[in-house]
Amino acid sequence: MAEPAVTTQWSRLLNAAWVRPLLFLVLIVVAWDLSIRIFHIPAYQIPAPADVVAVLWASWPELLGQAWPTTYATIAGFLLSALFGIPVAMLIAGSKTVESYVYPLLVFSQSIPKVAIAPLFVVWFGFGLLPKVICAFLLGFFPVVVSAVQGFKSVDPDMVDLARAMQGSRTNIFLAINLPHAMPAIFSGLKVSITLAVVGAVVGEFVGSNSGIGYVMQRSIGTFDLPTMFAALVILALMGVILFWVVDRIERLVIPWHASQRSDVIIAA
Amino acid sequence: MKRTLTLLMAAMVTAGLAVTTPAKAADKVVLMLNWYVYGEHAPFYYGKAKGIYAAEGIDLEIQEGRGSAATTQAVAAKTANFGYVDVPTMMRAAIKGAPVIATGVLLQTTAMSAMGFVDKNIRKPEDIKGKTVAITPADSITQIWPLFLKKTGLNESDFKTVAGDAQTKLNAVINGQADLLLGYVMDQSMKIKDATGKDVYPIKFADYGINLVSSGIIANTDYVKQNADLVKRFMSATTKAVEAAEKDPAAAAQSILDANPKGGKIGTLTQGFELTIPLYRTPETKDKRPFQVTDQNMKDSVDLMVEYGGLDAKAKENPKAFYTNDYLPK
Repeated sequence: MAEPAVTTQWSRLLNAAWVRPLLFLVLIVVAWDLSIRIFHIPAYQIPAPADVVAVLWASWPELLGQAWPTTYATIAGFLLSALFGIPVAMLIAGSKTVESYVYPLLVFSQSIPKVAIAPLFVVWFGFGLLPKVICAFLLGFFPVVVSAVQGFKSVDPDMVDLARAMQGSRTNIFLAINLPHAMPAIFSGLKVSITLAVVGAVVGEFVGSNSGIGYVMQRSIGTFDLPTMFAALVILALMGVILFWVVDRIERLVIPWHASQRSDVIIAA
Repeated sequence: MKRTLTLLMAAMVTAGLAVTTPAKAADKVVLMLNWYVYGEHAPFYYGKAKGIYAAEGIDLEIQEGRGSAATTQAVAAKTANFGYVDVPTMMRAAIKGAPVIATGVLLQTTAMSAMGFVDKNIRKPEDIKGKTVAITPADSITQIWPLFLKKTGLNESDFKTVAGDAQTKLNAVINGQADLLLGYVMDQSMKIKDATGKDVYPIKFADYGINLVSSGIIANTDYVKQNADLVKRFMSATTKAVEAAEKDPAAAAQSILDANPKGGKIGTLTQGFELTIPLYRTPETKDKRPFQVTDQNMKDSVDLMVEYGGLDAKAKENPKAFYTNDYLPK
């Protein structure tokens, strides 16, 4: 039985990917503003959305300028996480010996609060970009490794055996079977990692930096300038969203065949 | 069954007695400090240890804070009853609507300074030229730093600046990444001495014409209205505690360690407190009891904060809105 899919202009707009989160965001902002009005929350505790928007509007060149150092540190840290995380995961997944030595220590290191050791990085590496990159790297490393290990371990052994039966070399087998099968898990780890890398970069800036969004936040906290502080938070959140989206797009290019990448198919018979 | 019933009865009777026993319970009061404990805080611990607060019917709990700004917000939100904070920082919050007021200004001269190791020989502002200064962006001292530069004829371009949080500032000077840091004469200098054993020389802002009050006791304005008697007793006890501590700095510093064994080393805590005592009074108040700040001193501080501290200009209209001496003992 054929059902004509009637797609009006409106329904197509509502179904666009970016409209729904935007609507939800508008809802949250309205709720925020109402709470401030109903509960008479003073300006020095929580700023009104209107004030935050005013700051974003007025200072966007400066905020944008300050967002670049944080973005560089985030991306650099994230790339390092990916560069070191995936090979480490390969080693852990490939060898029970390596796994038994390394994996527990990795988990142990995860509980060390980076905020506490960040000052040490400034002592060892100075006040430049490097401590921020290292903070971002340390926060983003673990999710990549855990997901990648899971990915490499869930490769179907029958496929590998088949490839070996067909006289595939180890490299060929790895590139054709192990790596592609692990990719979906690796990308999920990368997506978590990029958002954590943003946090890491900001922690690094709080501890020792003359620039960046973390620096803007620290400065505004000291002067009780809550609208600017919230504006900085908004910028950070946007940064996380944009970077996440970029990784998501790359995922779409690399693993278009995966079940998660299929959009809903409406079959009209 | 019978045994259980008897036990239950006994428990209920005990509980009943405990509740109905008449006991004049002391008022529970929470004082939140401006930072983790250091020499300047000795009087509070000394007063508690010597029973000075208990004698006024106050059961004092001292909490360490995370910066004057955070403590001011806690007092405004009534999470802490009293705060011990940098009063100019409190003014910045008050002018934005925070319901806080200083019930006693203890340090009537500023403790702000630029300090570095003694062997670096940086003793006068001119020596700062060409050096590296460690700051924390927008903290109380860094906001007054431009005024110090103006008063001493220095330019931002005469020296290098590195920015970091409180720990990074200390690390920077200790490890030689910076020659100086902006800090309080009794706080970071003692921490650096604890870590390295070497002495630190502070260039005091007060020596260069910066007349600004520093730390004081603050409270929520509603709390003060509803608990006027308690506030009077608290200020009376604190005044006595400060006077007692002034007479015996070593014992006062020891009381910090008794309450907080990891609070530092006795030598530097004592030295830090001894460095604080001269800041309690100005020439106008040198014969008075602690906390008795003059109206002129407060007015000068407000004017300075408006011009250099980023305080809203409307603060000048009513400097008395920020403090009151009405709850101090005579």
